[in-house]
Amino acid sequence: MDFLRPASWEEALAAKAEHPTAVPIAGGTDVMVEINFDHRRPDVLLDLNRIGELHDWEVGEDTVRLGASVSYTRIIENLRSVLPGLATASHTVASPQIRNRGGVGGNLGCASPAGDAHPALLASGCEVEVASVRGTRMIPIDEFYVGVKRNALAPDELIRAIHLPRADGPQQFSKVGTRNAMVIAVCAFGIALHPSTRTVRTGIGSAAPTPIRAKAAEEFLAAALEEGGFWDNGKIIPPAVARQFAELVSGAANPIDDVRGSASYRRHALGVMARRTLGWTWDEYRGNERSARCA
Amino acid sequence: MTTLPRVTGEAVARIEARDKVTGAASYAADHPLDGLTHAWPVTATVARGDITAVDDSEALRDPAVLAVLTHANAPRLADAGDPMVAVLRSPHVAHHGQIVALAVAETLEAARAAAGAVRVTYDEQPHDVVLTADRPGLYTPDEVNAGHPADRRRGDFDAAYAASEITVDAVYEVTPLHNHPMEPHAATAVWDGDALTVFDSNQGSTVVRSTLAALFEVDEADVRVVSEHVGGGFGSKGTPRPHVALAALAAKAVGRPVRLALPRNRIAAVTGHRAPTIQRVRLGADADGHIDALAHETVTQTSTLTEFVEQASVSSRMMYASPHSLTTHRVARLDVPSPSWMRAPGECPGMFALESAMDELASACGLDPVELRIRNEPPVEPDSGRPFSSRHLVDCLREGARRFGWHDRDPRPAVGRDGPLLIGSGVAASTYPVWVFPSHAEAYAGSDGRYEVRVNATDIGTGARTVLTQIAADALGVPLDLVRVSIGRGDLPAGSVAGGSSGTASWGWPVHKACTDLRQRVSDAGGHVPDGGLFVRADTEQEAGGGTEYSRHAFGAQFAEVQVDTVTGEVRVRRMLGVFAAGHILNPRTARSQFIGGMTMGLGMALTEGSFLDPEFGDFTERDLASYHVAACADVPEIDVHWIDEDDPHLNPMGSKGIGEIGIVGAAAALANAVHHATGMRVRRLPIHPDTILLGL
Repeated sequence: MDFLRPASWEEALAAKAEHPTAVPIAGGTDVMVEINFDHRRPDVLLDLNRIGELHDWEVGEDTVRLGASVSYTRIIENLRSVLPGLATASHTVASPQIRNRGGVGGNLGCASPAGDAHPALLASGCEVEVASVRGTRMIPIDEFYVGVKRNALAPDELIRAIHLPRADGPQQFSKVGTRNAMVIAVCAFGIALHPSTRTVRTGIGSAAPTPIRAKAAEEFLAAALEEGGFWDNGKIIPPAVARQFAELVSGAANPIDDVRGSASYRRHALGVMARRTLGWTWDEYRGNERSARCA
Repeated sequence: MTTLPRVTGEAVARIEARDKVTGAASYAADHPLDGLTHAWPVTATVARGDITAVDDSEALRDPAVLAVLTHANAPRLADAGDPMVAVLRSPHVAHHGQIVALAVAETLEAARAAAGAVRVTYDEQPHDVVLTADRPGLYTPDEVNAGHPADRRRGDFDAAYAASEITVDAVYEVTPLHNHPMEPHAATAVWDGDALTVFDSNQGSTVVRSTLAALFEVDEADVRVVSEHVGGGFGSKGTPRPHVALAALAAKAVGRPVRLALPRNRIAAVTGHRAPTIQRVRLGADADGHIDALAHETVTQTSTLTEFVEQASVSSRMMYASPHSLTTHRVARLDVPSPSWMRAPGECPGMFALESAMDELASACGLDPVELRIRNEPPVEPDSGRPFSSRHLVDCLREGARRFGWHDRDPRPAVGRDGPLLIGSGVAASTYPVWVFPSHAEAYAGSDGRYEVRVNATDIGTGARTVLTQIAADALGVPLDLVRVSIGRGDLPAGSVAGGSSGTASWGWPVHKACTDLRQRVSDAGGHVPDGGLFVRADTEQEAGGGTEYSRHAFGAQFAEVQVDTVTGEVRVRRMLGVFAAGHILNPRTARSQFIGGMTMGLGMALTEGSFLDPEFGDFTERDLASYHVAACADVPEIDVHWIDEDDPHLNPMGSKGIGEIGIVGAAAALANAVHHATGMRVRRLPIHPDTILLGL
């Protein structure tokens, strides 16, 4: 196994172009597990740890540019107000030690359906900035996951950053596991309210071959909120609407039975999480609206 | 003469604590040696068959690879009478994951790559790995673990049960469970001529030494086993396991030191596990809850290599008054990894079944579960008719009920609500026998006023080194810091295994004896130790080797409160309380950790730990800590521990009972009973999964 340690982003891109099968490694929290379990034995490891800019983030007017290696700990500590959904999800990642090492770039690179960041990324509607010696392009998150543990990267491309819209409304994340921490999700759900566009976006983890959105649920909810004038009147969402939303989320999943949980349990749990997180986010939205009106 | 305050009973901090937290304590794989090489196992990918060919050509292409050892080329080991260490002796594969070859190389990475490149071909044979209660081939073993008879009958169970006013008949199931000590099974071995030195992770290096001497046909005096620090075992290091035989074998074969630390995901298959049990319990009682008939019938499995029978029915022989009793064990010999000891073998799964059934009987009788147990308190041990040396179960139950606030609860199931959460509480009794084994010790007084005590105890994280120092200091009548206790080396005076919660009693007794004797000698010498010092030896072959006219057990009461989410089916523990009666507690600090550790492991058994033997391939699907879920800190709530000091003159000079295992016994039943109280549902198969709860609600 060759171990390459580029000193700069340009060198990294050149190395990736020269060794398209090279597996990038940053925090190592996924790659090292796979190597330890003998799930893969790459010919070349491409160590990105010497590239400082991958650990940087910039908070712009509308978007946050999050370096691929910014650790979950840093996200929790610094970006809670602008990326609440991702920060909440980051809290549930493994243990403090892993959160100090791992970042969103690794989650995207591995593209495991169980990655904790994916539901929040899908719900936010972010774009992934990828680069190669050929140039840079932006991949919308909806087009990023293409198969089981496969993403839309070309063999010579590396993930540079994630561009996430700053939250324009409440966001939530929920995860079910067989113990309270350090566990691969049985299933997970993320939701983001987007009052500025009067839309809702969702993300489902561990309940389909790839992370997915529950689009029918989103469309139903957006229509129901619009129809009832809820964005403006801030009334409580009727239980029937919440129930229908939950059912559509359950229906969007395509889960399997495995040692972590049964397919039927996953569907059930997704419905529960959808209803709960909708309740939390809507309560927060109503609270914000009320205080905004009072001010 | 002045009398020092006793240090036994004091919360003395662990003597080696600083070494451990700073990394100065050396474990089996920590010892640097010149010319050290590394080994990595190749494991069988079939559950039953014979090796027909091993292709190591690819593996040996790397010049860093020194050898690929197999049954065909490894130095042949003599028969030491223990199939666990009969490594690389035969082409036969008895279970999936059996070690069939060992790659040895200059570096760990090269060894691992070589192991991955070895191609083994098998003549695969059909395997039989599925345990059911009615399968063919179940037989009655001659005896079960710990030397108990497989079956016991008292009175006429069938007639008494048929005549009983109230009956309970239920089947309880526990999946295989894995020990998974934090430190994996590891050994570093080096030969010097016919002399062997092994740094090994085990629970008793005296036996490791004699076993290695037998395997390699050398003198015991030429075998040095060092196990000064051991990172847990829970029974899975109780006898020599394959890693130590393989390291010594490989070191002999390559003529250099070899280190082998078993990879985590290979441990489940080759170091033992708790065998699954299917236990049918029948209780027949009168309307007041007095048990007349008790049957506990266990079905379990063993491997084709060894016969190990989890003695799950045994505690039902002595727990409660039961004039008509039937307790049996049936076992199937399957093509599975060999089961072995895991924390409280027998009592742990057995008391899950019995104490769940007691809760069901309490419900059936409309009785408080604490009261039901008190009503069935036996005057003497029911099985043998011997008196108990001490038995304070009722006191533990009463004290626990008081501290827990047990009597404030609404006894009706499924009425405690907090929004979508159902809240319930449960109780279970706990017990563990008193074991003590002969051991030897030496004590030396220096003319500088310092003392040295030598005994081959093993500190597997329990605090044994500290407690033995306390025992020695008290017996010598000197301050703690003048006493140095050496443990964890095979060449020290022989000590018994750190198992069966027997360590403190077994090692402490000869230490006490030697130190008491030495104190007398110092006194006889006018209180002055002559130049050259004074030296005494003691053993307990007489005292600890024989039987006893008393039935000796520790007892306890476990209380638990859980919340069950009616929407997701998740069970979360809100609080646990354990009250134990285990003789004198010699060190409250380390004892508390033992109790809490056991209870935490019981929480894992109830809710998160489960293993599944894949019928297709015959291997465990949960082989690592990412899939085999021991409870994480976030799962463990407030755990409160208390004990009732017992003055029992029939134990040992310290008056102590073992405490390493009793904490796990009954914990799972208390939690399952709490789930019943919360929901009205009986879950009789562990672990309790959210799926099961949701289906039942």
